[in-house]
Amino acid sequence: MELQVNGRTMALPADAVAPDMPLLWVLRDVLGLTGTKFGCGVAACGACTVIVDGQAQRSCVMPVSAAAGKAIRTIEGLADPGTGPHALQRAWVAHQVPQCGYCQSGVLMAAAALLARVPNPSDAQIDAALTNLCRCGTTPRWREAIRSVAPRPPAPK
Amino acid sequence: MTRRRSLLLGGLGAAGALVVGWGVLPPRSRLGAQGTLALEAGEVGLNGWIKIAADGTVMLAMPRSEMGQGIHTALAMLVAEELEVPLAAVRLVEAGPQRLYGNVAMFVESLPLHPEDTEPGHETALATAGRWVVAKVARELGIQVTGGSTSVADAWDVLRLAAATARAQLVGAASLNWRLPADELRVRDGAVHHDATGQRAHFGELARVAAATPPGEVRPKAREDWRLIGTPAPRIDVVAKADGSARFGLDVRLPGMVYAVVRHCPMIGGSPGRVKIEAAMRMPGVERVVRLGPLAGATAAPAVVGRSTWHAQRGAQALEVEWQAPPGGRLETAAIRLGLEAQARAAADRGGGFVFHRRGDAEAALASAARRLEAVYHAPYLAHATMEPPNCTARVADGRVEVWASTQVPGIARAQAARVAGLPESAVTLHLTYLGGGFGRRLDADVVAQAVRVALETDGRPLQLVWPREEDIGHDFYRPAGVAVLRAGLDEQGRCLALQATSAGDAITPRWLERGLPGLATRFDAPDKTAGEGLYDQPYGIAHQRIAHVATHSGVPVGYWRSVGHSHNAFFVEGFVDELAHAAGQDPVAYRLAMLRDKPRHAAVLRLAAQKAGWPGHGEARALPAGRARGVALHESFGSIVAEVVEVSLEAGVPRVHRVVCAADVGTVVNPGIVAQQMEGAVMFGLAAALRGRIDIEAGVVRQRNFPDVPVTALADTPRIETHLVASTRAPGGVGEPGTPPLAPALANALFVLTGERRRELPLLG
Repeated sequence: MELQVNGRTMALPADAVAPDMPLLWVLRDVLGLTGTKFGCGVAACGACTVIVDGQAQRSCVMPVSAAAGKAIRTIEGLADPGTGPHALQRAWVAHQVPQCGYCQSGVLMAAAALLARVPNPSDAQIDAALTNLCRCGTTPRWREAIRSVAPRPPAPK
Repeated sequence: MTRRRSLLLGGLGAAGALVVGWGVLPPRSRLGAQGTLALEAGEVGLNGWIKIAADGTVMLAMPRSEMGQGIHTALAMLVAEELEVPLAAVRLVEAGPQRLYGNVAMFVESLPLHPEDTEPGHETALATAGRWVVAKVARELGIQVTGGSTSVADAWDVLRLAAATARAQLVGAASLNWRLPADELRVRDGAVHHDATGQRAHFGELARVAAATPPGEVRPKAREDWRLIGTPAPRIDVVAKADGSARFGLDVRLPGMVYAVVRHCPMIGGSPGRVKIEAAMRMPGVERVVRLGPLAGATAAPAVVGRSTWHAQRGAQALEVEWQAPPGGRLETAAIRLGLEAQARAAADRGGGFVFHRRGDAEAALASAARRLEAVYHAPYLAHATMEPPNCTARVADGRVEVWASTQVPGIARAQAARVAGLPESAVTLHLTYLGGGFGRRLDADVVAQAVRVALETDGRPLQLVWPREEDIGHDFYRPAGVAVLRAGLDEQGRCLALQATSAGDAITPRWLERGLPGLATRFDAPDKTAGEGLYDQPYGIAHQRIAHVATHSGVPVGYWRSVGHSHNAFFVEGFVDELAHAAGQDPVAYRLAMLRDKPRHAAVLRLAAQKAGWPGHGEARALPAGRARGVALHESFGSIVAEVVEVSLEAGVPRVHRVVCAADVGTVVNPGIVAQQMEGAVMFGLAAALRGRIDIEAGVVRQRNFPDVPVTALADTPRIETHLVASTRAPGGVGEPGTPPLAPALANALFVLTGERRRELPLLG
């Protein structure tokens, strides 16, 4: 089996990976991409969020076989090799969002997937896309950081 | 000198230490010798905290755990300030096991002293003596621990002195090299300058001579000369936390590493009987099963080793285990709750419990009061639910143990690792990673002991052990449930003359000592400050007080949970004081202020919160939208005072918090940006718990299993949170925890205004 991760093709050793192994554990334990986090294992917290073919996915419940052949993007590939950190990553630093930092990879991937689809999301769209859990309580800064790179949609006339 | 003193102390024990150490200034005794830090090529150690690289980089030994509270940044700021380097020029390096890195403040603050007895300038002789003795013993023990919101307070004198001493030596070296008087030299941007001649040498060029130069009399910089302390400098860890490169305990990856998953008995305190491993062993990628005995507070459990976390977890699920119920019977939180209330009531009626504070004659004053009020308050067990589940990585090979841990207690983790491996502590190397949340859960090193135990059987290969979330929620060291019977006597004008508070709940500290520091555990439980904190030290000027606590033994494993005893005691006392205000027909802010005439700091914090919230009568009153109400609470904890005003409405019967205004006096502020962050985080932590947080145990089994059974407030439900700080020149107080206690009472008090119903039990959404 092969995976397309952050623009690179990665071969998976057959004996290390079963088709029903969640993508999360393939990324973390087989490929060593530990930026994607384990939080709950039941798609409840969002710490494991990655982007698969443009969609935010909770990788702890996505079988690796379902991700094969698709473009997988993890936090390690969120920055652009040419232009540097993603605008959201810059905003996260400018607004001093992270505390412990453990959930932030998942939050950033969920936010990046949203902005790629909806450059000017409404507050309700942000709420619906960012259901990630943060135990440190950094949510008060998520919206302001997102708004600094994605202003509200123009008010309907 | 230092070495001889250590040897002497080793022979004399703690009692001798008190005599021998007399006359050594405490902060100076913790500077450490130049040989403390391991050196790489070109590096020069100046003391136990600071070494200088050949290129002039300042390296700071970092024994404290970064779990989101910003301590790495705050401590690096203290050093950057004194050494006159940019914050970015300070590099953190791993601290060793030496005792100078122990946290002294945390142990001193564990004494159940009344704040009025430790107020600077008004300390009682008994309080001074008690703190001195505990500080002395804590320095000699040197236990590395991050907790109790004490890290900045503990480092405040020590680190500034360490850096100022290094600065003096670097200036002295330049003075020697250039044959110029030291007072003509200036330090800036990591170099010593002589402006008149334009001579300049960076720290790396001076370090070797500096190490041999006596520092002379050293004083940290005067407050008016600070350029970094007090500024919202960006945290030094956020870039790595925004690009995924920050390494937490669970992110340790080593060649040949294998993984283990633990499966505890679903019943708390139960154990595995017969374990059939055949089905698990048949699963691909499963390597072996290790039976763990009870370790550092964790109950006996099988662990399955596999080639990935997933393989190990599937193996753990496939084990067929005959679980054995705990010998003491199956726990029931409903029964525990009733028992706590019965014990608190009995003690309240009969003058029982350990009296943390007594003033006047509360019973007589209650009996003769014009009006008496009584209320019973309850709080549930709570889980920590750190986002990074409990885990540890260990390698045991060639008579050495190497541990990688996201722990709050490196000192205890080393000892546990050594004990389990049957090796001396000197054979243990501990690498402290970032912590994916702590909140007190990682003050226990149970998972470290388990990882080392399994690593004894992995043939020298590194082993990462992890608890799935269900194990974490079901086998935590929970915030103890608590109850308080509160009685007040009011005069004709509604003024509170008497307060009798009698609480009941399990003591945390004795259990924690048994698990982590058995050498300090006592046969009979000493009174645990954490049980009474927030009640016995409440600030209101009430002439007659009796504040007592009944320490119980529920059998539920209990531990420290962000803000500890304050987390429920603030709810009890600030809810009850609000009841008194309403009973007296007075405004809750005015009623409190009237009782704070002798507490100007508390009054200033409360006024600031009221004013910023637009509370009527305090500056510009702000009318609330229809259907919204405000509540207030004020609480001192960990040396800091926080008031919060909460605005709440009901949406389909469910409380919705719109805005939280925090005002705080945290003493001298090292980094106001981090203080604001911590207040926001503490409010969010308190909010989730206040509305929905609970752990229920039925037939010995914790009913909650994973998120969202354990609630965390979502973005959609996040209120606007503002932080306003009172300027202060006192030594720094705590920052990580004090924002949590006032949230629950402020919210409950707001809901009372909205609904007319007084909620005296957490969580508020029952």
